[in-house]
Amino acid sequence: MTDQTVTATLDGRTVTAEAQETILACARRHGVPIPTLCELNDIDHAPATCRVCMVEIESPGRDSAQLVASCNTPVQEGMTIRTRTRRVREAQRLQVELLLADHNQDCATCVRHGNCELQDIAQYVGLHTNRFFDRTRTLGRGIDTSSPAMIRDMTKCIRCQRCVTICRNGQTVDALVVTGTGIDSAVGLHHGLSQKDSTCVTCGQCVMVCPTGALGERDETDTVLDFLFDSEIVTVFQFAPAVRVGFGEEFGLPPGTNVEGRIIGALRRLGADIVLDTNFAADVVVMEESAELLGRLAGKRRPTFTSCCPAWINFAERHYPDLLPMLSSTKSPQQCLGKIAKTYLPERMGIDPARIRVISIMPCTAKKDERVRPQLAENGVSEIDVVLTTREFARLLKRQGIDLRSQEPSVFDNPYMSAYSGAGAIFGTTGGVMEAAVRTMYQIANGRELPQIELSQLRGFDGARTATIEVGGTIGTVKVAMCHGLRPTRDLCEAVRAGTADFDFIEIMACPGGCVDGGGNLRSKKAYLPYALKRRESLFAIDRSTAVRQSHNNPQVQALYRDFLERPYSEKAHHLLHTYYTDRSVEMSLTVKQVWEDITMSTMVY
Amino acid sequence: MATIVYGIWDGSVIDHRNGNGEASSLFPSLAGFGEFNPGNPIRAFFGDRGFLIFDRTVSLIDALRRQLAKAEEQSCGKCTPCRMGTALIGVSLTAMARGEAAPLDLDSIVMLGRQMAETSLCGLGRTTPIALLAALTHFRDEIEREIASGVPCPTQYGMDYMTAPCIEACPSKINVPRYIDYIRDGKPEHSLGVILQKYPMAATCGRVCVRFCEMACRRNLVDEAVGIKILKRYVADHQKGPNALRFSRDLIASFHPTEMRVAVVGGGPAGISCAYHLLLHGYHVDILEAMAEPGGMAAIGIPSYRLPKDVLRSETDIILALGGRFLFNQAMGRDFTIDSLFERGYCSVFLSLGCQQGTPMGVADEDSSALGYETGIGFLLKVHDHIAGTRLTRLCGDVVVVGGGNVAMDCVRSALRMGAERVHLLYRRTREDMPADHEEIEAAEAEGVIVHFLTNPARIIHENGRVVGLDVVSMRQTETDARGRRNVESVPGSERRMECSVLISAIGQQVRKGVLSPSDGIAMTPWGCIEAAPVDLATSRPGVFAGGDCVSGPSTLIHAMAAGLKAARSIDDYLQLGQTRFFPRSRMRQILNEHKLLAADCVELPVRLEYRVHHPELDPEVRRTMFEEVETTISDEDAYREAKRCMRCYRIYSVITEQPIPEGAA
Repeated sequence: MTDQTVTATLDGRTVTAEAQETILACARRHGVPIPTLCELNDIDHAPATCRVCMVEIESPGRDSAQLVASCNTPVQEGMTIRTRTRRVREAQRLQVELLLADHNQDCATCVRHGNCELQDIAQYVGLHTNRFFDRTRTLGRGIDTSSPAMIRDMTKCIRCQRCVTICRNGQTVDALVVTGTGIDSAVGLHHGLSQKDSTCVTCGQCVMVCPTGALGERDETDTVLDFLFDSEIVTVFQFAPAVRVGFGEEFGLPPGTNVEGRIIGALRRLGADIVLDTNFAADVVVMEESAELLGRLAGKRRPTFTSCCPAWINFAERHYPDLLPMLSSTKSPQQCLGKIAKTYLPERMGIDPARIRVISIMPCTAKKDERVRPQLAENGVSEIDVVLTTREFARLLKRQGIDLRSQEPSVFDNPYMSAYSGAGAIFGTTGGVMEAAVRTMYQIANGRELPQIELSQLRGFDGARTATIEVGGTIGTVKVAMCHGLRPTRDLCEAVRAGTADFDFIEIMACPGGCVDGGGNLRSKKAYLPYALKRRESLFAIDRSTAVRQSHNNPQVQALYRDFLERPYSEKAHHLLHTYYTDRSVEMSLTVKQVWEDITMSTMVY
Repeated sequence: MATIVYGIWDGSVIDHRNGNGEASSLFPSLAGFGEFNPGNPIRAFFGDRGFLIFDRTVSLIDALRRQLAKAEEQSCGKCTPCRMGTALIGVSLTAMARGEAAPLDLDSIVMLGRQMAETSLCGLGRTTPIALLAALTHFRDEIEREIASGVPCPTQYGMDYMTAPCIEACPSKINVPRYIDYIRDGKPEHSLGVILQKYPMAATCGRVCVRFCEMACRRNLVDEAVGIKILKRYVADHQKGPNALRFSRDLIASFHPTEMRVAVVGGGPAGISCAYHLLLHGYHVDILEAMAEPGGMAAIGIPSYRLPKDVLRSETDIILALGGRFLFNQAMGRDFTIDSLFERGYCSVFLSLGCQQGTPMGVADEDSSALGYETGIGFLLKVHDHIAGTRLTRLCGDVVVVGGGNVAMDCVRSALRMGAERVHLLYRRTREDMPADHEEIEAAEAEGVIVHFLTNPARIIHENGRVVGLDVVSMRQTETDARGRRNVESVPGSERRMECSVLISAIGQQVRKGVLSPSDGIAMTPWGCIEAAPVDLATSRPGVFAGGDCVSGPSTLIHAMAAGLKAARSIDDYLQLGQTRFFPRSRMRQILNEHKLLAADCVELPVRLEYRVHHPELDPEVRRTMFEEVETTISDEDAYREAKRCMRCYRIYSVITEQPIPEGAA
């Protein structure tokens, strides 16, 4: 034993703990389970508010045993810890019963039914009564339905504040605040704004950590069913690069399994008329963005930021509007696919474009927000008609009785918009957009392919990575940066603002890991983004397995330019596939009067 | 004289219900418990460690209901047992008090009360149910008798008071845990709003406060006090910049007629604070200031490396935003008298004159007119002019400063910045005895100040009318006396000479002579301060109130601002009612204080050590050359982290009284 460790007794066993180690951490190291609810170790979050993880301790020099929260109480020398005494179990059980007392318990209607950490903990502590529930206690907290992307149902909030921590510390968006007191306490947006008008960027990472159904996407599965069962409508489905590697778990397949074929099969069974691949549009984006970037480099305009990620676009418009001129004008793959599917595709296939409805399946909540951007509609026609998150897609399949596990795989059959290159496939993970773009820029600069296709110098997993790439030819050296997660993104934005960042091209993905861990993915209980690397490996495997590894060599992309768009960044391409951004920073100033009206405290002077 | 009929405190049961009343050893003197306000006996007292019943007929159920209702109203709602326990028990006690059937039986109430006490996160949830559980354990028969009677409890009068050690320690009684909580909640504007309810100079206080709150902080028993001042500065800096909180006249609910004018004499912290509160009450306020700028000692006494002038100015500007006026270069005794103020139509006067004259050291050959001799306050005035660019002062050679308070620290650090080669600080006692902030002493030493502890001047040496040095003598500590204090005495034969070009006596200040004359009708204390009643700050002349350093002698910014608030309440009462009212909250504090009821001497549960954040500071070698601010605001991230260290040591105290408690300004 050193000065740095202490010795204690844990359920009768002698254990050694690090100085200041919590009882919970020590117990976990020794394989002793303690029920927890608000705590989430993966994001270093232990607010000790739920008070479920109680254990009994006896400390030297103290007569009686005490109950303490294991998540924030340190192990001390000579301490005796008991995790399963009757007193402990009863305190835990009563705590969960009290948690339910002001928790909206319409479980059967809840998106988390059967997948809820609160339900799990109720089972864990052996809850068998529910004496205190009163629905009226939930009514003081609101349901915010203002956002096109997400619903915040505070009647189901258990005040764990995981969402506040991920938004504040993880993403540094810091859009959330604690509101109200007592049973009316909940989580809201700064300055009492609605989610829609707030500084929230709808990245959805809060949804990924919420233990209950308090946070979730806006469910639009019914809209899709309406489309599917309307014979006048031609349904066009697309799914994002990351969906195929992050969806199998819902049906019991190992994390990271590539279920592309099964998704295509399932969509056909649902009654989809046309199944397209967002990967195809990713290849188109590479063509447009590369051409745009070369033009900007020639004009000495640097840096250029990628524009695929709608939460990043929101972040820039809300928090860094001064950087908007540096954003690529190329629309995201989702929007490019929608636009092409309503112009080029009907022309080729002889369909009335007015009958087409494009449905996206995305690992992303912000894509729902992107869909309704006014500048992405023309004459009242949206490019995308509905966006389903991966979670809703799972719900849709279940509603239609489709089990992905037993679903026969199928293949894409659309001759215009479903082929993809390996470059398009890796769009779903951090560094993927950059790597895809470099493969094409090299070809443009040198008239031949990059000899080594896979760029390992871009493939790290740090939040911010930089590289210097010899593209050669007329372009020469390109300095690039890649950020995933908004914390490193904010640091980089600050550096760009301060003029200390020396980059030509910057890839941003708002969610840590990129789309494979986007806020629309399946939820993980008691874990934050546990499958990031498995999904990423699967995407790289898809890249390796494709016959064509570069966007410009995708035959359907070549046909698109030959038959329709003429060339990348042509006038027509510019009209259809490029957009603009607006300053949407939020006025965040209050008067003292407003603040005083809102303050609750016992020493009110005025 | 109150006698306890029954009750329990700290686990000791007192039960004299059968008559054999005897004095309790727990409360040898119940002097303070007789009446709450004159003619209004205290019937019962409830606190964080039990309750005392002085009147057998008190309804326990109703008294406990009050306590729980207060806790429910104040529960932050984050931790489960407090959020639900206060609500569920509250509903049942309310039903019982009405004589109705309650949703919970007494055993269930005990179960929930115990859950609250044993598993709540903070002091509020852990201490509120203690009286309830004690009552249900030891005096259940009383409660059962009340329930059995089936009649509603008669109305009981009283008040409930929530506080914490840091709140009680603060002269301004700022609700510290609340403002820290608002930071944790992500609402720094609300946090600032809590502070602004007490005084306008939050950013100033966040820079220079002496932090009684941090001395009282129970986190000291774990690792270090919460950085309450650092957090105050963090939120106060939201007062500037693009998202600054805005003051405007619409804060004022109703305006008094224009003839309701009040004169505030002296634009220092006490005067600013008083004017601020009077303006919010709707009065028309003029501040008469002898200098050409507002701020008083905060402007001239605190160097800009600790308090930048623009920070102070943005806070004194609040007075203008609220419609107040500054009349500069108006010195009392020279430009006006109290009589002339009343003649000009002011209805009431607040004297916040400060202590602007340095106290001599009283050593041999002290000549305040000699070249090179400065008082602390006189020197800081030169520093002020130097920075303002109106009159430059260059020092050279050795500078000696005598004193151990914050003014002395300001002098030594400023002297360095003005070119002194070496700066010596003489203090007659030890480092531990120094009244200055210890961070200040360390900062001064880091910048190169040479501190001589246990050293006292004995004689000043002059040449050609100029100070050229002084004889000093070493001191030593005497044995501890009966009151536990150690004095100092000079060591015979330890005299030695120190050369210096400037000698600064920074041992104290007093009210400037001649500002008040007997014809003003203001009684003075024997030591030259204005005499003001502690309870309402009234002077001997009706309508004239006084507060701040001119009443207390040199004291702290926070004391001055507290006096300003108190005076504003008194002036409002005086002008509206002709007399000042009873302050229930002050009376409650007095009871807590007299009986040492707010225990803050132990932390019951193990707490993880997490040391406090510190201001980012510049390198001492750089900062000793500059008058710009040396500490910068902490980051959002550090603020969130620091705010999480607060343990929220809230406790609720209630009294039940015979009569309604008069609603003084709360």
